[in-house]
Amino acid sequence: MEIALQSLRIILEPSHFLMLISGVLLGLAIGILPGLGGIVGMTILLPVIYGMDPHDAFALLIGMVAVIPTSDTFPSVMMGIPGSSGSQATIMDGYPLAKKGQAARALSAAFTASLFGGLFGAAVLTAVIPIARPIVLSFGSPELFMLALLGMSMVGVLSGNRPIKGVLAGGLGLMIGALGAAPALPEYRYYFGIDYLMDGIPLVIIGLGLFAFPEIIDLLIKGKAISEAPTLGKGWLQGVKDAISHKLIILRCSVIGVIVGFLPGLGGTVVDWISYGHVIQTTRDRENFGKGDIRGVLAPESSNNAKEGGGLIPTLLFGIPGSGSMAVFLGGLLILGIQPGPSMVSEDIGLLYTAIWSLALANVFGAGLCIMLSKPITRLTIIPFTYIAPFMILILTLASYQATRSWGDLIALLIMGILGWVMKQYGWPRPAALIGYVLSDNLETYLFISVQRYGIAWITRKGVIILALIIAISMVLSILWKTKKKPTTKLVYDSDKQAS
Amino acid sequence: MIVISRLLKIRVVFAAFIFVAFGYGMCEAFSFGFLAKIFPLYICLFCTILAFFNLILEIRHSWREAIDSGVGFVDLESEWDIPMSEVIERFCRYLLLLLLLYVSIWLLGYSLSITIFLVIFYRFLTGTTWRIASVAGLAGLAFISLISKLMVIDWPLGIIQNWIHLPWPLG
Repeated sequence: MEIALQSLRIILEPSHFLMLISGVLLGLAIGILPGLGGIVGMTILLPVIYGMDPHDAFALLIGMVAVIPTSDTFPSVMMGIPGSSGSQATIMDGYPLAKKGQAARALSAAFTASLFGGLFGAAVLTAVIPIARPIVLSFGSPELFMLALLGMSMVGVLSGNRPIKGVLAGGLGLMIGALGAAPALPEYRYYFGIDYLMDGIPLVIIGLGLFAFPEIIDLLIKGKAISEAPTLGKGWLQGVKDAISHKLIILRCSVIGVIVGFLPGLGGTVVDWISYGHVIQTTRDRENFGKGDIRGVLAPESSNNAKEGGGLIPTLLFGIPGSGSMAVFLGGLLILGIQPGPSMVSEDIGLLYTAIWSLALANVFGAGLCIMLSKPITRLTIIPFTYIAPFMILILTLASYQATRSWGDLIALLIMGILGWVMKQYGWPRPAALIGYVLSDNLETYLFISVQRYGIAWITRKGVIILALIIAISMVLSILWKTKKKPTTKLVYDSDKQAS
Repeated sequence: MIVISRLLKIRVVFAAFIFVAFGYGMCEAFSFGFLAKIFPLYICLFCTILAFFNLILEIRHSWREAIDSGVGFVDLESEWDIPMSEVIERFCRYLLLLLLLYVSIWLLGYSLSITIFLVIFYRFLTGTTWRIASVAGLAGLAFISLISKLMVIDWPLGIIQNWIHLPWPLG
């Protein structure tokens, strides 16, 4: 306790505090720019931290990475463009809310959920330090494969009344993820002799192509503002009230966020989809999901902030990065001369608490700043889109090009964009494709390792059986509730009607 | 002709494309080593069968001029208040604009192209004055220059940079 308080005192010293705020501001800026995420932020900061005091560097790095999942809500809610990989699912309900003129409500609910999720992650990090080791070690490749499978089961949930198209879209995502180097042996697949495809298509291209490109084109075709309502509405307080009234959803999704972040190798890119799928599966009145249900905003936003706390556990205690940004963070630790591992608990406990305090304070400041910035930023939704579109196209091309810095990025963006637009027009669930893509590598790699290591016996492991039961129960419940709640009205898609 | 026009709708063509893509993926998978082919082969096998059924369904729907229906949280499908033919026409127009931007990047380099693109877009599509359009163009150039410095990125150069020496950030 004394060490924890001492770390807090250090963090609150003006120079350290300035570093934390600098990190938070950079994180906010990176989160607002679509396509840029924690990896980019960490990469920008790495050259800065050479020779820096470790407490300062921790405040800077963690301050930055902690608030990206908060500020990335802006583009997701207001433009239907994923701000970063952790806010893909927020689009599903956040953007329809913005179109209804309820952007303010969606944002305030999201920031409240983010704040809670972030603080929850920091609290879990504090509590788990002494007992983390056996938990992390109990998850082998078979269990990680089952977790990836749990993520894939969300495809069914996100397909609505079009299960065939949903499964096919998921399969398409899996196949796009299978482009390039095979994980099991040195062989390249489906690269058509194009060097660019040998490494596969980066996630940022898939996300921007499937979601941002179609949205920009559609808004240009409509020639209107993003919001269909002329005013922003008075939803600021309502959003906070929504978060409070759905506190159990936020709590459950924060737990999911911590667990997924905590497990090395699963990657934070899927956490928002898992929590979004979870909230739909465990809800009876689900017909408004995808049309602007506030619960669809609260779930991913609480989990993506909570995952940062979870992700720090294996990174700091075992030197195993839980996500891409944590891998770069690990490099930062080595630059500072800190050897992550179990010895940190005994030798560098002060630094561990600095990390925890930085995480908690960054979340508080991040959420506060986002709420302050919301009002002017939300005004973008009522400006005619032709004023915003050119800069969106600039950001789209810029964000894509920074992925691998080759012409292939720009060409892949265009191809994925056309694919995303056609999928959007003709009712192919794009989220299912994205989930398939994100999980493709994990599914193949963990299945391969499981079979190589345990043979067929991997399916008899306790963890695998428990996770299989969870998947089965959630799917059965989902189907049962869906059939009980059979809708009486049919939504007719104008595009289809007019096309025919 | 009527039969063909009924069947050749984008949704049917897209469903056929998905079927062919999975079919190709399956055939191609046979050429991979054992461990590399297992994952794509089984996915493609399953999805090819499913895509075939989906194609039949789409053809049947188109034939009957049925409208696809779905409820809930499938995606953010567009709802248009203009005829679909006009939507497609506008889509093609904006796609052409993007292709022109790409050609321009190939010729003039990213920084110069995006600046010109911003100016032209604001002047002719948004309908602002030349002055505002120029300010927007310069703002865009300043932004990508800042990002270039921060992230140490060299934007793609065009053919023109091989011929003429342009100062940074244009060259």
